[in-house]
Amino acid sequence: MTTQTTAPETPDTPAVAPQSGLIGIPPNIARVLTTAGAVLTVISTFMSWTWTSDFPGDLTVYGYPGGLQILVLIGGALTTLFALAAHGVKGLRHTVPAGGYAALRFAALATFATAWYTVIAISDELGGVVNLDPGAFIVAIGSLAALVGALALPFEKPAPDPIDPDDTSWEQFKNTASHKWETVKAAFAAGSPRPVGPLPSYVEILVIVAVMALSLLVFTYGIGTQYDELFIGFLITAGFGFAALNKAGLVAQATQITGRHQNITVCGAFVAAALFPFTQTDDQYATIGVYILIFATVALGLNIVVGLAGLLDLGYVAFLGVGAYAAALVSGSPSSPFDVHFPFWAAALVGAAASLVFGVLIGAPTLRLRGDYLAIVTLGFGEIFRITANNLDGTSGPDLTNGSNGISSIPDLKILGWNLGAPHDVFGFTIGRFANYFLLMLIITAIVVLVFRRSGDSRIGRAWVAIREDETAALAMGINGFRVKLIAFAVGASLAGLAGTVQAHVTYTVTPEQYQFAGPIPPNSAFLLAAVVLGGMGTIGGPLIGASLLYLIPNKLQFLGNYQLFAFGVALILLMRFRPEGLVANRRRQLEFHEEAEAPTVLSKTGA
Amino acid sequence: MNELPQQLVNGLLLGSMYGLVAIGYTMVYGIVQLINFAHGEIFMTGAFGALTIYLYVLPDGTSMVIALPLMLIGAIVVAVAVAVGAERFAYRPLRSAPRLAPLITAIGLSLALQQAVWAWYPNAKSSITFPQIDGGPFHIGSVTIQTGDIFLVIAAPISMAVLAYFVMKTRTGRGMQATAQDPDTAKLMGINTDRIIVMAFALGATFAAIGGVAYGLKYGEVNFKMGFLLGLKAFTAAVLGGIGNIYGAMIGGVVLGVAETLASAYISNIPGMEQFGSQSWADVWAFVLLILVLLLRPQGLLGERVADRA
Repeated sequence: MTTQTTAPETPDTPAVAPQSGLIGIPPNIARVLTTAGAVLTVISTFMSWTWTSDFPGDLTVYGYPGGLQILVLIGGALTTLFALAAHGVKGLRHTVPAGGYAALRFAALATFATAWYTVIAISDELGGVVNLDPGAFIVAIGSLAALVGALALPFEKPAPDPIDPDDTSWEQFKNTASHKWETVKAAFAAGSPRPVGPLPSYVEILVIVAVMALSLLVFTYGIGTQYDELFIGFLITAGFGFAALNKAGLVAQATQITGRHQNITVCGAFVAAALFPFTQTDDQYATIGVYILIFATVALGLNIVVGLAGLLDLGYVAFLGVGAYAAALVSGSPSSPFDVHFPFWAAALVGAAASLVFGVLIGAPTLRLRGDYLAIVTLGFGEIFRITANNLDGTSGPDLTNGSNGISSIPDLKILGWNLGAPHDVFGFTIGRFANYFLLMLIITAIVVLVFRRSGDSRIGRAWVAIREDETAALAMGINGFRVKLIAFAVGASLAGLAGTVQAHVTYTVTPEQYQFAGPIPPNSAFLLAAVVLGGMGTIGGPLIGASLLYLIPNKLQFLGNYQLFAFGVALILLMRFRPEGLVANRRRQLEFHEEAEAPTVLSKTGA
Repeated sequence: MNELPQQLVNGLLLGSMYGLVAIGYTMVYGIVQLINFAHGEIFMTGAFGALTIYLYVLPDGTSMVIALPLMLIGAIVVAVAVAVGAERFAYRPLRSAPRLAPLITAIGLSLALQQAVWAWYPNAKSSITFPQIDGGPFHIGSVTIQTGDIFLVIAAPISMAVLAYFVMKTRTGRGMQATAQDPDTAKLMGINTDRIIVMAFALGATFAAIGGVAYGLKYGEVNFKMGFLLGLKAFTAAVLGGIGNIYGAMIGGVVLGVAETLASAYISNIPGMEQFGSQSWADVWAFVLLILVLLLRPQGLLGERVADRA
């Protein structure tokens, strides 16, 4: 009763008190501090950070930034931009459509993390802070000031739970701790941005082009990082930077615009991807590019099975293997027992068909049963495929796959007189072997994306989702569960087989050891599943991003070496615990995973 | 064909090891409908727990008569700790999550455990020799039982008897049965289902640990990967016997072991199949058996459960 009477009398106390920052500095000073810190950071990137060029990237030059300095410069510029917008500078309001300071905080955090990581890495690798030049101290102070200022900016704090005197001290501690955590979360939360009004079509298309160009730039930069420190810096900047753009509401607006022109966006994405080989001067990074693309395409195929239909396939890489072996057997390789040389289109059909047959053979007995059986049978199939391929060597079985040596010296493809094995000059750019295969693989990716989109939106696709969500209800609605699931499984298998036919030619050799359940080199079944889960089940962008990250991180961070599979296992557990919907969340999935927690916001969002 | 009894005994021994591990799958599945993929790795950590006791705790040259019980305790302690920890920190928070989530967690856990042993256990990057019982093989008629198998001959029936007594006669065991049948009603009847679930994980881990020691004695070495294929086989055994049914797990294990042994011994006698009989094909035949069972009798040999229960 007392709370009811006092509450109306003091309506503005809870509203006024929370309007302060995480750090107790007056807002005006905080704003100036942030801006000044960000500007200082930007200036410092043009100075020397260390006296010796022993630290990779040559940070010794006055006048222009290099290596990690460029990343800090980008972060600093972003922070400056958001800080000026926070001052209310005219025209910059559009950069933060969501309002608030969350974007500024993330930008400052990105800059601070990258800058301090660099400074610490320099001191650590060169042995002590004496190796730092004035520029390094300036960037350290500048980015710290910007972060402190950003954290001191006011935000709406959540009201604390009333303290229950009956609670034990442990429960009280838990309550205060969770309240503190809520407060920190609130500091980094942002409102939803206002929707973008309809712009002229050409402006919207220009925005899409700009987004694609930016993505290509970020991807190319990440793939081209030459040393561990730069790649870590890249991950830090890209991660927090993306969060900043997201909190600013720019991502949401871009999504709205791309959503209006889906076909143009998809085409634009493929054009951007196809331009990637042209940004490269040699074949070194095109190699990484083509492997990422194979990995991502297979992950996307798996996403049809796992993400759309909800069937857990733990031996998916075996279908890739079936396709690769089938293509290798008919490729005219000297170690193939068949003396035939199919053209690529025929080999691709053979590979896809072989995978399809195996998919149906495995799927037909198990898909009638509950999903768990499928998981174990596919896991078994993955192992059996490897063992069988190992055994079919002429001594412990009929000679088909040449045992553990595999089928080697698979000849390069020739398509329409275009030899993919040799470099070509196109418009003055040299397109090397791997770049050729990159472009070929991109066509396969396009096919998979097409199948994913068209089938996902079709009657069958909706049946898949219905079965994934609630099989009993779906069956009651008249969906033929077995048939629909078998289609999903078979489509997924044949797409993997198709990708396998290209993979066989890219790698020259197919061996059983390439197709393990888990191994250090993607693609393998565990990594494929992780790419889907990390990226976001049921989305197209998710597996592509997930596969890129999962390929690049072990590839670039050599020091992880022996621990990467361990880290990967732990990451899977944590991911399922804290963000089961993945990086790119499918809206429906997100609701499913956070039923209780997010129900009110969902209602308000749909209502608005 | 006078080697048939020998092959049957070999299959029986192999199968009872599968059965010991399969119990863990079937118990956890029966209660929370979760395939605990990491169970194979719990089996592996059990074997390494026993090895640790022998190599690093006991003085060199301890007689196996003293060492074996201590090793068994070490194995059980390690395996139960890992299993209960996994349940508490990885699976319990996901209990109301969609079905795919805990399965993926289990895969992550399985990889993490494997790699942790590989990376941090001394010399575990290759196989480690497991201590052996002294003495020659036993001969019963025309059948020979290797020294390494004696532990299995004794431990497997005792484990089964203890488990049967526990499940049928004790309060916790009957609570377990009730929870498996209907968790919500069991809760209403005053059963602490959280505790029951932890018990299921712990019991499964105990038998897996016994299986791990048996594996070490049987094959003379252990390695970080041993849990993967054996876990797969044990799960096959659990499905074969009817998943959720504890006796089914043991029977399924025995059937699988015998079938596998007979397949690698006799398939090469079938005309046209000469090359498919060797040991390297045994895993393939075990898997073919699983597919056949799923086709013909999806509820398993003893399973009364409906196969597509949600």
